[in-house]
Amino acid sequence: MSDRTGVVYDLGYQPYEGQRLGRAGAIRAMIKDGLRRTFGIRRKARKKVYPWGLVSLAFLPAAVFVGLSFAISSFAPDADSPFGGHPEYIGLIGTVIILFVASAAPNLLISDREDGVLSVYSSRPLTAWDYIWGRAGALAGVAAAFFILPNLIMYIGFAALEDRGFASALFNNLDDWVKILATMLAYVVGYGAPALLISTYARRVGPAAGTYLAVIFISPAFAEMFRNLNFTGSRYGTLISLLQHPEVVRNWVFDRSQSGIPMISVGFEPWLSAVIIGLIGVATVYLMARRYRREL
Amino acid sequence: MTVAALSAYNLGHAYGDIVALHHLDVEVPPGRIGLVGANGAGKTTLIKVLLGILTPTVGRVEVLGVDPADDLIGVRSRIGYMPEGECLPKDQTAADFVSYAAELAGVPPTESRQRASDILTMVGLHEERFRYLGDFSTGMKQRAMLAQAIVHDPEMVFLDEPTAGLDPAGREEMLDLISRLGGFGINVLVSSHVLPDIEQTCDWVVMLDGGRVLRSGPISGLTETGVVELEVVDSIDLVAAELRRTGATVETTGEVLTITSSPGDPFLAARDALAATDVSLRRLGARSTTLEDIFLGEVPDDE
Repeated sequence: MSDRTGVVYDLGYQPYEGQRLGRAGAIRAMIKDGLRRTFGIRRKARKKVYPWGLVSLAFLPAAVFVGLSFAISSFAPDADSPFGGHPEYIGLIGTVIILFVASAAPNLLISDREDGVLSVYSSRPLTAWDYIWGRAGALAGVAAAFFILPNLIMYIGFAALEDRGFASALFNNLDDWVKILATMLAYVVGYGAPALLISTYARRVGPAAGTYLAVIFISPAFAEMFRNLNFTGSRYGTLISLLQHPEVVRNWVFDRSQSGIPMISVGFEPWLSAVIIGLIGVATVYLMARRYRREL
Repeated sequence: MTVAALSAYNLGHAYGDIVALHHLDVEVPPGRIGLVGANGAGKTTLIKVLLGILTPTVGRVEVLGVDPADDLIGVRSRIGYMPEGECLPKDQTAADFVSYAAELAGVPPTESRQRASDILTMVGLHEERFRYLGDFSTGMKQRAMLAQAIVHDPEMVFLDEPTAGLDPAGREEMLDLISRLGGFGINVLVSSHVLPDIEQTCDWVVMLDGGRVLRSGPISGLTETGVVELEVVDSIDLVAAELRRTGATVETTGEVLTITSSPGDPFLAARDALAATDVSLRRLGARSTTLEDIFLGEVPDDE
């Protein structure tokens, strides 16, 4: 038995006279909380299954692509990877981002309203705008990480395969990153903003996620329908396809074929998809501000 | 000069056509303040205006000398709020959420965790601090809500119906915690329609009815009537007659004699009358009234 003895003192309430980080600290705390919530960190185990499953889905193929490319290049070091480059991988990640924001956006916004946590924010050095940027920032940050990190794995992996040398390949292919980041912006805003908007007005997490997925995945069918209709202005209906606007931007940026995409086949220019994504982003922020200024 | 904890100047707020607050003029000193009124009296609306969530339709307010319309962040940096409904995420532990509440007030992360632990211990949730809030009972939730409201050491805390839904034991414990907040240097505004709760915990009361201030003042002054009651053993008429002879106004009911006014101190008048008549005393004391009596007396009859 230990011979150590001690006394536990109840110091009661202690005033806090230390540093206060103000508004910036509050926003940082919100973003950190958002990241933890979206990944189920410090939550029950069942909250972790879905987000970490998506992480695996986003990262594992990149690692496998690079690994197999290494194996094949050991036989033919100059061969290009047979598994496709960044644009093809972005197609896969786009689906992961949709599945991720469908769950994360309602969990961030609706849970705060359902549980009444907004009243806590209203007694902290925060405004409605801070809340919106904090929550949207957390969502966008995670979606961007989903986008960037697997591409980074591929970028570094494929650079290591190039016969002109690793460092040289890293620097010579930097222009790929301009394209990747531009496409990332289109995917994060194009898929994230509608999820935030639906979650701003929906009452329950499940229906919000379902509505978002339905809107995203059914909208190309409506666009296809408008492409086949022959009344004046029907071609504008093809712009309803929320799923395809980021894909149009990706194809535009990487100079890939746009065949089969309704809005392009009826004569719209690809830049219009970028403009529409921007407008959706601005409208989302405006409507969120209207909604949250009443409660914060 | 002491800055008023709360001030309202010609304050009004309306939800469309429904006027919730009518030209409130009130100034309240620091301390423990009770905000009483029936449901719909405007208590929660007033708190939301003080928090800067709602903008006054007319007039203005000040919290600790600062108008939220001029410096919202400044006001919110100095306050805490325990809302009437729940404000706890079900999927977080008490320690995590209270720590997060401190971080939201700008307390650095390491200090936040330490303070969360200390405050949860203070409110009696030390053992439960790593349990998920969704698994808490009503009483535990109320304590956790109080903890998040004070974890960042605010200068003023607004407690909206803090005893709602609590059993008698839980209610007493919550009232005890609220009473202790004043000792920590935290000004407290307790909103409640349960008048005995306010009487037990506060030293100033603001009565609201239909969005208007019925009365605002220190509770001790409000509940003192200046009336003295004495109960004697037989011969009550003798004592009454002696008191009337000295100029006092008295009423008798059974063996109880009430001195409603007297030329001097009514206690001394009672003592002298008892000595002069040689009548035995059973009970003597000041008659006080309750906030409930005052409130019901102030509310217009047509309500």
